[in-house]
Amino acid sequence: MQPEELQARISPKLGENLLGVEPFAGTAGRVRFRPAGALELFETVRDDLGFRHLSMVGAIDWVDHREVFYVVWSDDARQYALLSTDLAADAPHVESASGIWPSANWHEREAWEFVGVTFDHHPDLRHLLMPEGYAFHPLLRSFKLHEPEELEVKSRRV
Amino acid sequence: MTTPAAQTKPAPAASPPAGSVPVELPMAGAPAVPFIEIETLRSAQFIPAAKETLGDLIAEQGQAKVIRPVFNWAGRNSLFPLHWGLACCAIEFAAAFGARWDAERFGVVPRSSPRQCDLMIVNGTVTWKVAHKLITLYEQMPDPKWVIAMGNCATGGGPFRTAYSVVPGVDKLIPVDVYIAGCPPRPEAMLDGILRLENLIRERKE
Repeated sequence: MQPEELQARISPKLGENLLGVEPFAGTAGRVRFRPAGALELFETVRDDLGFRHLSMVGAIDWVDHREVFYVVWSDDARQYALLSTDLAADAPHVESASGIWPSANWHEREAWEFVGVTFDHHPDLRHLLMPEGYAFHPLLRSFKLHEPEELEVKSRRV
Repeated sequence: MTTPAAQTKPAPAASPPAGSVPVELPMAGAPAVPFIEIETLRSAQFIPAAKETLGDLIAEQGQAKVIRPVFNWAGRNSLFPLHWGLACCAIEFAAAFGARWDAERFGVVPRSSPRQCDLMIVNGTVTWKVAHKLITLYEQMPDPKWVIAMGNCATGGGPFRTAYSVVPGVDKLIPVDVYIAGCPPRPEAMLDGILRLENLIRERKE
């Protein structure tokens, strides 16, 4: 599957929420979309294009905005594809993919925990790797290395 | 049934070769300990027997001065550490109980339940996620109890001291008696730490 084919098959469903499909090494292409069309894109990609397996969800802090990307795999085409969307830096949020691919559940919890991206309608958005009540999103660029004492006060279980 | 190998094997010598010194075990010739004497040392009868034996001494010097060293002696020779591991130090911890270092000759026997333990060896990086579980385990151990911080991570966070997820030293959570340096410490260092702890217990007053 080529980027042109992805573009041709997705754009009728998504319209202006599809920002473009560009080639990406080792994959069928990198689909860039607006967060408003997230659920529609997920359903199209899973049901029409056959990418039935969600391999991972990740988030990146680019300081002026945040990017959430999804790596999906198609058993029919034997190919990966990347779906990525840019979110506003203040209060970034996107619809949860865990209703489409259940494996998104823990990945989204991790992305929320470390980069602070909220996933709307997530069934169970709580800490995965850090203790309950942890006060930071430690993979943000604005997170500084703390003095141990300061971190201790904020990390201790209440 | 005899195999060809057994047939060709020379018969064992009936007597030691000429010129060799006959070997005698140290206990050979000593009278065997009667079973009844071992029986009287069972725990139900130990305390009355000890009181009877030490009665004069206790009356002379007071109970604390006589009984306390006995308990310290018993305690420091039967330290039971909790059998758990947090990180790579646990590999050295396990090696110390293997055939080469054999920590059991010091009476150190790892137990799987904290309720049977009086020593917690914190062997690895303590994260904030595991911190409250560590405190729970420590609180489940009966008194008197001791803690050894094994390795740089448990002592002060080690290379992860400024990391967002790591407790900078387990003494932020529970009191520590002995610190062992190393990354990870060799089993000899762990045994040295245990022997230092035994010296601390020897001096214990109350």
